[in-house]
Amino acid sequence: MLLPILLLYFTFLVLPIGAGFVMSFFDYNPLQAQNDFVGMANFSKLLDDPIFFKALRNTLYFVFGTVPLNIIITLIIAQLISSLQWSKLRASFRVLFFMPCIAPLVASSMVWKQMYNVRYGVINSLLERFLSIQPINWLGTQSLVIPSVILFTLWADMGYNIIIFSAGMDGIPHDFYEAAEIDGAGPITRFFNITLPLLGRTLSFVIAMTFISHFQMFAQFQVLATKGGPNNSGTVLTYLIYKIAFQNKNMGYASAIAIALFLLIMVFTIVQQRINRVDWGY
Amino acid sequence: MATLTKRNSWGQYLSLIILSGVALFIIAPYIWMVLASFRSTQEIVQNPGVILPIDWTLEGYRNVLTNAPFFQWFINSLIVALSITALVVFTSTLAGFVFAKFDFRGKEGLFWLVLATMMVPYQITMIPIFLIVGRLHLYDTLWALIIPGAVSAFGLYLCRQFCEEIPDSLSEAALIDGAGPMRVYWSIIVPLLRPCIAALAIFTFLEAWNEYLKPLIMLSQVERMTLPLSLVFFGNAHKHDIGSVMSAASLIMIPAIIVLLLFQKQFIKGISITGTK
Repeated sequence: MLLPILLLYFTFLVLPIGAGFVMSFFDYNPLQAQNDFVGMANFSKLLDDPIFFKALRNTLYFVFGTVPLNIIITLIIAQLISSLQWSKLRASFRVLFFMPCIAPLVASSMVWKQMYNVRYGVINSLLERFLSIQPINWLGTQSLVIPSVILFTLWADMGYNIIIFSAGMDGIPHDFYEAAEIDGAGPITRFFNITLPLLGRTLSFVIAMTFISHFQMFAQFQVLATKGGPNNSGTVLTYLIYKIAFQNKNMGYASAIAIALFLLIMVFTIVQQRINRVDWGY
Repeated sequence: MATLTKRNSWGQYLSLIILSGVALFIIAPYIWMVLASFRSTQEIVQNPGVILPIDWTLEGYRNVLTNAPFFQWFINSLIVALSITALVVFTSTLAGFVFAKFDFRGKEGLFWLVLATMMVPYQITMIPIFLIVGRLHLYDTLWALIIPGAVSAFGLYLCRQFCEEIPDSLSEAALIDGAGPMRVYWSIIVPLLRPCIAALAIFTFLEAWNEYLKPLIMLSQVERMTLPLSLVFFGNAHKHDIGSVMSAASLIMIPAIIVLLLFQKQFIKGISITGTK
Protein backbone atom coordinates (compact mmCIF):
# COMPACT_ATOMS: atom_id res chain seq x y z
CA MET A 1 0.00 0.00 0.00
CA LEU A 2 2.80 2.34 0.88
CA LEU A 3 4.83 1.66 -2.23
CA PRO A 4 2.38 3.19 -4.73
CA ILE A 5 2.03 6.22 -2.46
CA LEU A 6 5.79 6.68 -2.23
CA LEU A 7 5.94 6.30 -5.98
CA LEU A 8 3.39 9.12 -6.34
CA TYR A 9 5.40 11.34 -3.99
CA PHE A 10 8.49 10.59 -6.02
CA THR A 11 6.94 11.05 -9.47
CA PHE A 12 5.06 14.26 -8.83
CA LEU A 13 7.04 15.99 -6.08
CA VAL A 14 10.69 14.94 -6.22
CA LEU A 15 11.36 13.88 -9.80
CA PRO A 16 9.97 17.04 -11.47
CA ILE A 17 12.36 19.19 -9.44
CA GLY A 18 15.38 17.24 -10.66
CA ALA A 19 13.97 17.23 -14.18
CA GLY A 20 13.37 20.99 -14.02
CA PHE A 21 17.02 21.59 -13.15
CA VAL A 22 18.25 19.23 -15.85
CA MET A 23 16.01 20.81 -18.49
CA SER A 24 17.51 24.23 -17.88
CA PHE A 25 20.75 22.91 -19.45
CA PHE A 26 18.99 21.76 -22.61
CA ASP A 27 17.53 23.53 -25.59
CA TYR A 28 14.28 21.70 -24.90
CA ASN A 29 11.29 22.19 -27.16
CA PRO A 30 8.60 19.47 -27.36
CA LEU A 31 8.09 20.26 -31.05
CA GLN A 32 11.76 19.67 -31.91
CA ALA A 33 12.99 16.24 -32.99
CA GLN A 34 16.32 16.77 -31.28
CA ASN A 35 16.90 18.55 -27.98
CA ASP A 36 20.55 19.42 -27.50
CA PHE A 37 22.53 19.84 -24.33
CA VAL A 38 23.58 23.47 -24.31
CA GLY A 39 25.35 23.79 -20.95
CA MET A 40 24.96 27.25 -19.42
CA ALA A 41 23.69 28.81 -22.66
CA ASN A 42 20.16 29.33 -21.29
CA PHE A 43 21.57 31.15 -18.28
CA SER A 44 23.87 33.41 -20.30
CA LYS A 45 20.93 34.18 -22.59
CA LEU A 46 19.04 35.13 -19.44
CA LEU A 47 21.65 37.71 -18.46
CA ASP A 48 21.31 39.39 -21.87
CA ASP A 49 17.52 39.39 -21.88
CA PRO A 50 16.08 42.84 -21.07
CA ILE A 51 12.58 41.36 -20.67
CA PHE A 52 13.86 39.01 -17.97
CA PHE A 53 15.25 41.96 -16.02
CA LYS A 54 12.05 43.90 -16.49
CA ALA A 55 10.05 40.92 -15.18
CA LEU A 56 12.46 40.59 -12.26
CA ARG A 57 12.03 44.26 -11.40
CA ASN A 58 8.26 44.03 -11.68
CA THR A 59 8.22 40.93 -9.47
CA LEU A 60 10.27 42.64 -6.76
CA TYR A 61 8.16 45.80 -7.04
CA PHE A 62 4.97 43.79 -6.67
CA VAL A 63 6.22 41.58 -3.80
CA PHE A 64 7.82 44.37 -1.77
CA GLY A 65 4.91 46.67 -2.48
CA THR A 66 2.28 44.16 -1.38
CA VAL A 67 3.67 42.00 1.43
CA PRO A 68 4.76 44.66 3.97
CA LEU A 69 1.43 46.47 3.51
CA ASN A 70 -0.42 43.18 3.83
CA ILE A 71 1.39 42.27 7.08
CA ILE A 72 0.93 45.72 8.65
CA ILE A 73 -2.74 46.01 7.73
CA THR A 74 -3.63 42.44 8.74
CA LEU A 75 -1.83 42.84 12.09
CA ILE A 76 -3.78 46.02 12.82
CA ILE A 77 -7.09 44.49 11.75
CA ALA A 78 -6.45 41.31 13.77
CA GLN A 79 -5.62 43.41 16.83
CA LEU A 80 -8.76 45.52 16.38
CA ILE A 81 -10.87 42.38 16.02
CA SER A 82 -9.34 40.72 19.07
CA SER A 83 -9.96 43.82 21.17
CA LEU A 84 -13.70 43.88 20.39
CA GLN A 85 -15.79 42.85 23.37
CA TRP A 86 -18.67 41.43 21.33
CA SER A 87 -17.73 37.84 20.47
CA LYS A 88 -20.42 37.50 17.77
CA LEU A 89 -19.01 40.53 15.97
CA ARG A 90 -15.47 39.17 16.29
CA ALA A 91 -16.50 35.97 14.53
CA SER A 92 -18.49 37.80 11.84
CA PHE A 93 -15.63 40.14 10.97
CA ARG A 94 -13.22 37.21 10.63
CA VAL A 95 -15.55 35.40 8.22
CA LEU A 96 -16.22 38.58 6.28
CA PHE A 97 -12.55 39.40 5.80
CA PHE A 98 -11.95 35.82 4.72
CA MET A 99 -14.56 35.98 1.94
CA PRO A 100 -12.20 37.00 -0.90
CA CYS A 101 -9.91 34.06 -0.06
CA ILE A 102 -12.45 31.42 -0.99
CA ALA A 103 -13.19 32.90 -4.40
CA PRO A 104 -10.94 31.80 -7.26
CA LEU A 105 -8.35 34.52 -7.79
CA VAL A 106 -9.12 34.63 -11.52
CA ALA A 107 -12.81 35.19 -10.87
CA SER A 108 -12.20 38.17 -8.59
CA SER A 109 -9.57 39.45 -11.02
CA MET A 110 -12.21 39.47 -13.76
CA VAL A 111 -14.57 41.47 -11.54
CA TRP A 112 -11.84 43.97 -10.68
CA LYS A 113 -10.86 44.25 -14.33
CA GLN A 114 -14.33 45.60 -15.06
CA MET A 115 -14.13 47.90 -12.04
CA TYR A 116 -10.81 49.30 -13.29
CA ASN A 117 -12.13 49.93 -16.82
CA VAL A 118 -11.37 53.43 -18.14
CA ARG A 119 -14.72 54.23 -19.67
CA TYR A 120 -17.33 52.36 -17.67
CA GLY A 121 -15.43 51.11 -14.62
CA VAL A 122 -17.08 51.84 -11.30
CA ILE A 123 -13.82 53.14 -9.76
CA ASN A 124 -13.39 55.91 -12.32
CA SER A 125 -17.02 56.90 -12.21
CA LEU A 126 -16.95 57.18 -8.40
CA LEU A 127 -13.72 59.20 -8.52
CA GLU A 128 -15.24 61.50 -11.11
CA ARG A 129 -18.48 61.97 -9.25
CA PHE A 130 -17.09 62.60 -5.75
CA LEU A 131 -13.60 64.02 -6.38
CA SER A 132 -14.04 65.28 -9.98
CA ILE A 133 -10.97 63.32 -11.09
CA GLN A 134 -10.61 62.73 -14.83
CA PRO A 135 -10.89 59.05 -15.89
CA ILE A 136 -7.65 57.14 -15.22
CA ASN A 137 -6.51 54.30 -17.44
CA TRP A 138 -5.53 52.02 -14.55
CA LEU A 139 -4.50 48.94 -16.48
CA GLY A 140 -3.38 50.71 -19.64
CA THR A 141 -0.81 53.06 -18.11
CA GLN A 142 2.68 51.63 -17.58
CA SER A 143 3.22 53.15 -14.16
CA LEU A 144 -0.21 52.15 -12.83
CA VAL A 145 -0.44 48.46 -13.77
CA ILE A 146 1.54 47.07 -10.83
CA PRO A 147 -0.05 49.43 -8.25
CA SER A 148 -3.49 48.37 -9.52
CA VAL A 149 -2.54 44.71 -9.13
CA ILE A 150 -1.16 45.46 -5.65
CA LEU A 151 -4.45 47.02 -4.55
CA PHE A 152 -6.38 44.05 -5.90
CA THR A 153 -4.04 41.53 -4.27
CA LEU A 154 -4.33 43.24 -0.89
CA TRP A 155 -8.10 42.97 -1.18
CA ALA A 156 -7.93 39.34 -2.24
CA ASP A 157 -5.35 37.95 0.14
CA MET A 158 -5.69 39.50 3.59
CA GLY A 159 -8.12 36.95 5.03
CA TYR A 160 -5.72 34.13 5.79
CA ASN A 161 -3.29 36.31 7.68
CA ILE A 162 -6.04 38.03 9.64
CA ILE A 163 -7.34 34.67 10.86
CA ILE A 164 -3.89 33.29 11.71
CA PHE A 165 -2.91 36.47 13.56
CA SER A 166 -6.23 36.52 15.42
CA ALA A 167 -5.71 32.93 16.52
CA GLY A 168 -2.23 33.83 17.74
CA MET A 169 -3.52 36.90 19.59
CA ASP A 170 -6.31 34.93 21.25
CA GLY A 171 -3.60 32.68 22.69
CA ILE A 172 -1.99 35.58 24.56
CA PRO A 173 -3.24 35.61 28.18
CA HIS A 174 -5.54 38.52 28.91
CA ASP A 175 -3.79 39.26 32.23
CA PHE A 176 -0.79 40.66 30.35
CA TYR A 177 -2.90 43.37 28.77
CA GLU A 178 -4.72 44.19 32.00
CA ALA A 179 -1.46 44.44 33.94
CA ALA A 180 0.02 46.72 31.27
CA GLU A 181 -3.11 48.85 31.24
CA ILE A 182 -2.96 49.34 34.99
CA ASP A 183 0.68 50.39 34.57
CA GLY A 184 -0.59 53.06 32.19
CA ALA A 185 0.40 51.55 28.84
CA GLY A 186 -1.75 52.82 25.96
CA PRO A 187 -3.07 50.56 23.20
CA ILE A 188 -0.09 51.30 20.91
CA THR A 189 2.50 50.52 23.61
CA ARG A 190 0.61 47.33 24.44
CA PHE A 191 0.63 46.32 20.79
CA PHE A 192 4.39 46.79 20.38
CA ASN A 193 5.46 45.46 23.78
CA ILE A 194 3.08 42.56 24.31
CA THR A 195 1.34 41.48 21.11
CA LEU A 196 4.26 41.64 18.66
CA PRO A 197 6.91 39.89 20.80
CA LEU A 198 4.51 37.16 21.91
CA LEU A 199 3.36 36.65 18.34
CA GLY A 200 7.01 36.10 17.34
CA ARG A 201 6.91 32.61 15.85
CA THR A 202 3.53 33.00 14.18
CA LEU A 203 4.63 36.34 12.76
CA SER A 204 7.85 34.93 11.34
CA PHE A 205 5.96 31.99 9.80
CA VAL A 206 3.28 34.23 8.27
CA ILE A 207 5.82 36.69 6.84
CA ALA A 208 7.76 33.85 5.21
CA MET A 209 4.64 32.18 3.76
CA THR A 210 3.22 35.46 2.49
CA PHE A 211 6.45 36.36 0.72
CA ILE A 212 6.78 32.91 -0.83
CA SER A 213 3.20 32.86 -2.07
CA HIS A 214 3.39 36.38 -3.53
CA PHE A 215 6.54 35.57 -5.49
CA GLN A 216 4.50 32.83 -7.20
CA MET A 217 1.30 34.74 -7.94
CA PHE A 218 0.13 34.41 -11.50
CA ALA A 219 -3.62 34.52 -12.12
CA GLN A 220 -4.24 38.20 -11.44
CA PHE A 221 -1.35 39.20 -13.71
CA GLN A 222 -2.69 37.14 -16.57
CA VAL A 223 -6.13 38.70 -16.23
CA LEU A 224 -5.39 42.29 -15.18
CA ALA A 225 -2.17 42.89 -17.14
CA THR A 226 -3.42 41.62 -20.49
CA LYS A 227 -0.53 40.08 -22.46
CA GLY A 228 2.01 41.39 -19.96
CA GLY A 229 0.59 44.92 -19.84
CA PRO A 230 1.63 47.89 -22.00
CA ASN A 231 5.33 47.54 -22.90
CA ASN A 232 5.67 44.57 -20.49
CA SER A 233 5.00 46.87 -17.54
CA GLY A 234 2.87 44.13 -15.93
CA THR A 235 5.08 41.15 -16.83
CA VAL A 236 6.30 39.27 -13.78
CA LEU A 237 8.56 36.20 -13.70
CA THR A 238 5.69 33.72 -13.32
CA TYR A 239 3.93 35.12 -16.36
CA LEU A 240 7.16 35.19 -18.39
CA ILE A 241 7.87 31.54 -17.52
CA TYR A 242 4.35 30.51 -18.52
CA LYS A 243 4.53 32.43 -21.77
CA ILE A 244 7.94 31.10 -22.81
CA ALA A 245 7.19 27.51 -21.79
CA PHE A 246 3.66 27.05 -23.09
CA GLN A 247 3.18 29.65 -25.81
CA ASN A 248 6.69 29.76 -27.31
CA LYS A 249 7.30 26.09 -26.27
CA ASN A 250 10.85 27.02 -25.32
CA MET A 251 10.85 24.85 -22.21
CA GLY A 252 14.61 24.77 -21.58
CA TYR A 253 14.86 28.55 -21.39
CA ALA A 254 11.67 28.74 -19.30
CA SER A 255 13.23 26.26 -16.83
CA ALA A 256 16.27 28.50 -16.51
CA ILE A 257 14.03 31.46 -15.60
CA ALA A 258 12.13 29.24 -13.15
CA ILE A 259 15.41 28.39 -11.45
CA ALA A 260 16.22 32.10 -11.19
CA LEU A 261 12.83 32.55 -9.49
CA PHE A 262 13.60 29.66 -7.13
CA LEU A 263 17.00 31.13 -6.19
CA LEU A 264 15.35 34.49 -5.57
CA ILE A 265 12.80 32.92 -3.22
CA MET A 266 15.45 30.85 -1.45
CA VAL A 267 17.90 33.70 -0.86
CA PHE A 268 15.03 35.82 0.29
CA THR A 269 13.71 33.19 2.73
CA ILE A 270 17.16 32.67 4.26
CA VAL A 271 17.67 36.41 4.76
CA GLN A 272 14.19 36.76 6.24
CA GLN A 273 14.78 33.91 8.70
CA ARG A 274 18.07 35.52 9.80
CA ILE A 275 16.49 38.91 10.40
CA ASN A 276 13.62 37.39 12.31
CA ARG A 277 15.92 35.38 14.52
CA VAL A 278 17.75 38.57 15.50
CA ASP A 279 14.52 40.41 16.20
CA TRP A 280 12.50 37.81 17.98
CA GLY A 281 15.01 35.39 19.46
CA TYR A 282 14.01 34.83 23.06
CA MET B 1 -12.40 50.62 37.20
CA ALA B 2 -15.18 52.89 36.02
CA THR B 3 -12.76 55.13 34.13
CA LEU B 4 -11.15 52.09 32.53
CA THR B 5 -14.42 50.79 31.09
CA LYS B 6 -15.39 54.24 29.92
CA ARG B 7 -12.17 54.79 27.97
CA ASN B 8 -12.49 51.24 26.71
CA SER B 9 -15.91 51.78 25.26
CA TRP B 10 -14.67 54.77 23.22
CA GLY B 11 -11.90 52.56 21.86
CA GLN B 12 -14.43 49.83 21.18
CA TYR B 13 -16.59 52.06 19.02
CA LEU B 14 -13.58 53.47 17.21
CA SER B 15 -12.38 49.92 16.42
CA LEU B 16 -15.86 49.06 15.24
CA ILE B 17 -15.97 52.04 12.88
CA ILE B 18 -12.55 51.26 11.39
CA LEU B 19 -13.39 47.58 10.96
CA SER B 20 -16.72 48.42 9.34
CA GLY B 21 -14.90 50.68 6.88
CA VAL B 22 -12.53 47.88 5.88
CA ALA B 23 -15.46 45.47 5.72
CA LEU B 24 -17.18 47.78 3.25
CA PHE B 25 -14.05 47.81 1.08
CA ILE B 26 -14.05 44.00 1.17
CA ILE B 27 -17.71 43.48 0.19
CA ALA B 28 -18.07 46.38 -2.25
CA PRO B 29 -16.73 44.42 -5.27
CA TYR B 30 -19.15 41.58 -4.49
CA ILE B 31 -22.10 43.93 -4.28
CA TRP B 32 -21.06 45.57 -7.53
CA MET B 33 -20.62 42.17 -9.20
CA VAL B 34 -24.04 40.86 -8.15
CA LEU B 35 -25.85 44.06 -9.11
CA ALA B 36 -24.03 44.23 -12.46
CA SER B 37 -25.05 40.63 -13.14
CA PHE B 38 -28.69 41.78 -13.19
CA ARG B 39 -28.03 44.64 -15.61
CA SER B 40 -27.72 44.59 -19.36
CA THR B 41 -24.28 45.41 -20.75
CA GLN B 42 -25.70 48.40 -22.56
CA GLU B 43 -26.96 49.80 -19.28
CA ILE B 44 -23.59 49.26 -17.54
CA VAL B 45 -21.68 51.02 -20.31
CA GLN B 46 -24.08 53.95 -20.55
CA ASN B 47 -24.53 54.56 -16.81
CA PRO B 48 -21.32 53.47 -15.11
CA GLY B 49 -21.98 55.66 -12.07
CA VAL B 50 -25.34 54.06 -11.34
CA ILE B 51 -24.94 51.12 -8.97
CA LEU B 52 -28.51 49.82 -8.78
CA PRO B 53 -29.93 48.20 -11.92
CA ILE B 54 -32.43 50.44 -13.71
CA ASP B 55 -34.04 47.51 -15.55
CA TRP B 56 -33.51 44.21 -13.74
CA THR B 57 -32.74 41.45 -16.22
CA LEU B 58 -31.84 37.76 -16.08
CA GLU B 59 -30.42 37.90 -19.61
CA GLY B 60 -26.83 37.45 -18.38
CA TYR B 61 -27.68 34.34 -16.38
CA ARG B 62 -29.69 32.91 -19.27
CA ASN B 63 -26.74 33.45 -21.58
CA VAL B 64 -24.30 31.64 -19.23
CA LEU B 65 -26.58 28.71 -18.54
CA THR B 66 -27.84 28.11 -22.06
CA ASN B 67 -25.00 29.22 -24.37
CA ALA B 68 -22.17 27.65 -22.38
CA PRO B 69 -21.70 24.19 -20.80
CA PHE B 70 -21.73 25.77 -17.36
CA PHE B 71 -23.18 22.71 -15.64
CA GLN B 72 -20.47 20.50 -17.17
CA TRP B 73 -17.78 22.91 -15.92
CA PHE B 74 -19.29 22.83 -12.46
CA ILE B 75 -19.31 19.00 -12.45
CA ASN B 76 -15.69 18.92 -13.69
CA SER B 77 -14.61 21.22 -10.88
CA LEU B 78 -16.51 19.16 -8.34
CA ILE B 79 -14.99 15.86 -9.57
CA VAL B 80 -11.45 17.26 -9.54
CA ALA B 81 -11.68 19.00 -6.17
CA LEU B 82 -13.42 16.11 -4.39
CA SER B 83 -11.05 13.47 -5.81
CA ILE B 84 -7.94 15.47 -4.95
CA THR B 85 -9.22 16.12 -1.42
CA ALA B 86 -10.04 12.44 -0.79
CA LEU B 87 -6.71 11.27 -2.22
CA VAL B 88 -4.61 13.85 -0.38
CA VAL B 89 -6.30 13.04 2.92
CA PHE B 90 -5.74 9.32 2.35
CA THR B 91 -2.09 9.52 1.19
CA SER B 92 -1.11 12.13 3.79
CA THR B 93 -2.64 10.38 6.80
CA LEU B 94 -1.28 6.98 5.80
CA ALA B 95 2.21 8.29 5.02
CA GLY B 96 2.12 10.53 8.11
CA PHE B 97 1.23 7.49 10.25
CA VAL B 98 4.08 5.44 8.73
CA PHE B 99 6.63 8.25 9.13
CA ALA B 100 5.56 8.88 12.72
CA LYS B 101 5.19 5.33 14.04
CA PHE B 102 7.52 3.05 12.06
CA ASP B 103 11.27 2.93 11.65
CA PHE B 104 12.88 2.07 8.34
CA ARG B 105 16.10 2.84 6.60
CA GLY B 106 16.39 6.31 5.10
CA LYS B 107 13.21 7.49 6.85
CA GLU B 108 14.40 10.93 7.93
CA GLY B 109 16.15 11.49 4.62
CA LEU B 110 12.99 10.69 2.68
CA PHE B 111 10.87 12.89 4.92
CA TRP B 112 13.14 15.90 4.50
CA LEU B 113 13.36 15.29 0.77
CA VAL B 114 9.56 15.56 0.53
CA LEU B 115 9.48 18.59 2.84
CA ALA B 116 12.17 20.34 0.81
CA THR B 117 9.89 20.17 -2.23
CA MET B 118 7.63 22.71 -0.51
CA MET B 119 10.37 25.32 -0.99
CA VAL B 120 10.39 24.86 -4.76
CA PRO B 121 8.00 27.05 -6.77
CA TYR B 122 5.49 25.34 -9.03
CA GLN B 123 7.08 27.17 -11.96
CA ILE B 124 10.01 24.72 -11.85
CA THR B 125 7.97 21.54 -11.60
CA MET B 126 5.08 22.44 -13.89
CA ILE B 127 7.05 21.83 -17.09
CA PRO B 128 8.28 18.32 -16.11
CA ILE B 129 4.83 17.46 -14.69
CA PHE B 130 3.27 18.58 -17.96
CA LEU B 131 5.66 16.28 -19.87
CA ILE B 132 5.07 13.33 -17.47
CA VAL B 133 1.31 13.77 -17.86
CA GLY B 134 1.82 13.75 -21.62
CA ARG B 135 3.84 10.51 -21.41
CA LEU B 136 1.04 8.91 -19.39
CA HIS B 137 -1.43 9.99 -22.11
CA LEU B 138 -3.47 11.93 -19.57
CA TYR B 139 -3.20 15.34 -21.22
CA ASP B 140 -6.57 17.08 -21.62
CA THR B 141 -8.36 14.74 -19.19
CA LEU B 142 -9.38 15.45 -15.60
CA TRP B 143 -6.82 12.80 -14.54
CA ALA B 144 -4.09 15.26 -15.54
CA LEU B 145 -5.15 17.33 -12.53
CA ILE B 146 -6.18 14.56 -10.14
CA ILE B 147 -3.16 12.23 -10.26
CA PRO B 148 -0.38 14.81 -9.80
CA GLY B 149 -2.59 16.41 -7.13
CA ALA B 150 -2.93 13.19 -5.12
CA VAL B 151 0.07 13.82 -2.88
CA SER B 152 0.88 16.86 -0.79
CA ALA B 153 4.12 17.61 1.05
CA PHE B 154 2.27 19.99 3.36
CA GLY B 155 -0.30 17.26 4.11
CA LEU B 156 2.41 14.75 4.97
CA TYR B 157 4.07 17.26 7.31
CA LEU B 158 0.80 18.18 9.04
CA CYS B 159 -0.30 14.56 9.50
CA ARG B 160 3.09 13.44 10.80
CA GLN B 161 3.02 16.23 13.40
CA PHE B 162 -0.43 15.14 14.56
CA CYS B 163 0.42 11.41 14.51
CA GLU B 164 3.43 11.98 16.72
CA GLU B 165 1.15 13.40 19.39
CA ILE B 166 -0.75 10.11 19.54
CA PRO B 167 0.85 8.01 22.34
CA ASP B 168 2.87 5.04 21.03
CA SER B 169 1.25 2.82 23.67
CA LEU B 170 -2.09 3.05 21.82
CA SER B 171 -0.86 1.77 18.47
CA GLU B 172 1.58 -0.73 20.04
CA ALA B 173 -1.11 -2.26 22.23
CA ALA B 174 -3.27 -2.85 19.16
CA LEU B 175 -0.34 -4.35 17.24
CA ILE B 176 0.38 -6.76 20.13
CA ASP B 177 -3.28 -7.72 20.19
CA GLY B 178 -2.81 -8.92 16.64
CA ALA B 179 -4.23 -6.03 14.63
CA GLY B 180 -2.44 -5.42 11.31
CA PRO B 181 -0.94 -2.00 10.54
CA MET B 182 -3.81 -1.14 8.18
CA ARG B 183 -6.28 -2.04 10.92
CA VAL B 184 -4.45 0.21 13.40
CA TYR B 185 -4.42 2.99 10.82
CA TRP B 186 -8.10 2.69 10.09
CA SER B 187 -9.57 2.16 13.56
CA ILE B 188 -7.13 4.05 15.83
CA ILE B 189 -5.19 6.65 13.87
CA VAL B 190 -7.88 7.99 11.53
CA PRO B 191 -10.47 8.69 14.28
CA LEU B 192 -7.85 10.44 16.41
CA LEU B 193 -6.69 12.57 13.48
CA ARG B 194 -10.12 14.10 12.85
CA PRO B 195 -9.25 17.76 13.56
CA CYS B 196 -6.15 17.43 11.39
CA ILE B 197 -8.11 15.77 8.59
CA ALA B 198 -10.78 18.47 8.68
CA ALA B 199 -8.19 21.23 8.38
CA LEU B 200 -6.30 19.45 5.61
CA ALA B 201 -9.50 18.67 3.70
CA ILE B 202 -10.71 22.29 3.80
CA PHE B 203 -7.37 23.57 2.61
CA THR B 204 -6.95 21.03 -0.14
CA PHE B 205 -10.49 21.46 -1.42
CA LEU B 206 -10.21 25.26 -1.55
CA GLU B 207 -6.91 25.08 -3.36
CA ALA B 208 -8.11 22.51 -5.89
CA TRP B 209 -11.42 24.33 -6.46
CA ASN B 210 -9.69 27.66 -7.10
CA GLU B 211 -6.71 26.37 -9.05
CA TYR B 212 -6.16 28.17 -12.33
CA LEU B 213 -2.61 27.65 -13.59
CA LYS B 214 -2.72 23.83 -13.58
CA PRO B 215 -5.95 23.51 -15.61
CA LEU B 216 -4.63 26.24 -17.91
CA ILE B 217 -1.63 24.07 -18.74
CA MET B 218 -3.29 20.66 -18.71
CA LEU B 219 -6.69 21.18 -20.38
CA SER B 220 -7.60 22.55 -23.77
CA GLN B 221 -11.07 21.29 -24.73
CA VAL B 222 -13.93 23.51 -23.65
CA GLU B 223 -16.01 20.65 -22.19
CA ARG B 224 -13.11 19.49 -20.01
CA MET B 225 -12.49 22.83 -18.33
CA THR B 226 -12.88 23.53 -14.62
CA LEU B 227 -14.71 26.65 -13.41
CA PRO B 228 -11.84 29.15 -12.93
CA LEU B 229 -10.40 28.32 -16.36
CA SER B 230 -13.81 28.32 -18.01
CA LEU B 231 -14.59 31.75 -16.58
CA VAL B 232 -11.56 33.26 -18.30
CA PHE B 233 -12.47 31.41 -21.48
CA PHE B 234 -16.06 32.66 -21.25
CA GLY B 235 -14.84 36.16 -20.46
CA ASN B 236 -12.62 36.21 -23.55
CA ALA B 237 -15.40 34.85 -25.74
CA HIS B 238 -17.91 37.44 -24.45
CA LYS B 239 -15.55 40.37 -24.04
CA HIS B 240 -18.22 42.94 -24.75
CA ASP B 241 -20.96 41.33 -22.72
CA ILE B 242 -20.08 42.50 -19.20
CA GLY B 243 -23.49 41.56 -17.81
CA SER B 244 -23.01 37.91 -18.79
CA VAL B 245 -19.44 37.77 -17.49
CA MET B 246 -20.62 39.16 -14.14
CA SER B 247 -23.41 36.57 -14.07
CA ALA B 248 -20.86 33.79 -14.63
CA ALA B 249 -18.60 35.24 -11.92
CA SER B 250 -21.57 35.42 -9.51
CA LEU B 251 -22.52 31.83 -10.23
CA ILE B 252 -18.99 30.75 -9.32
CA MET B 253 -18.53 32.91 -6.24
CA ILE B 254 -21.91 32.86 -4.52
CA PRO B 255 -22.04 29.07 -3.80
CA ALA B 256 -18.55 29.26 -2.28
CA ILE B 257 -19.65 32.09 0.00
CA ILE B 258 -22.71 30.12 1.10
CA VAL B 259 -20.48 27.13 1.93
CA LEU B 260 -18.17 29.45 3.89
CA LEU B 261 -21.07 30.87 5.89
CA LEU B 262 -22.45 27.38 6.64
CA PHE B 263 -19.11 25.97 7.79
CA GLN B 264 -17.53 29.14 9.17
CA LYS B 265 -16.49 27.59 12.49
CA GLN B 266 -14.67 24.70 10.78
CA PHE B 267 -12.99 27.07 8.32
CA ILE B 268 -11.65 29.41 10.99
CA LYS B 269 -10.53 26.55 13.21
CA GLY B 270 -8.83 24.73 10.35
CA ILE B 271 -6.85 27.76 9.28
CA SER B 272 -5.86 28.57 12.85
CA ILE B 273 -4.56 25.01 13.32
CA THR B 274 -2.27 25.19 10.31
CA GLY B 275 -0.97 28.62 11.27
CA THR B 276 0.06 27.78 14.80
CA LYS B 277 1.39 24.25 14.23
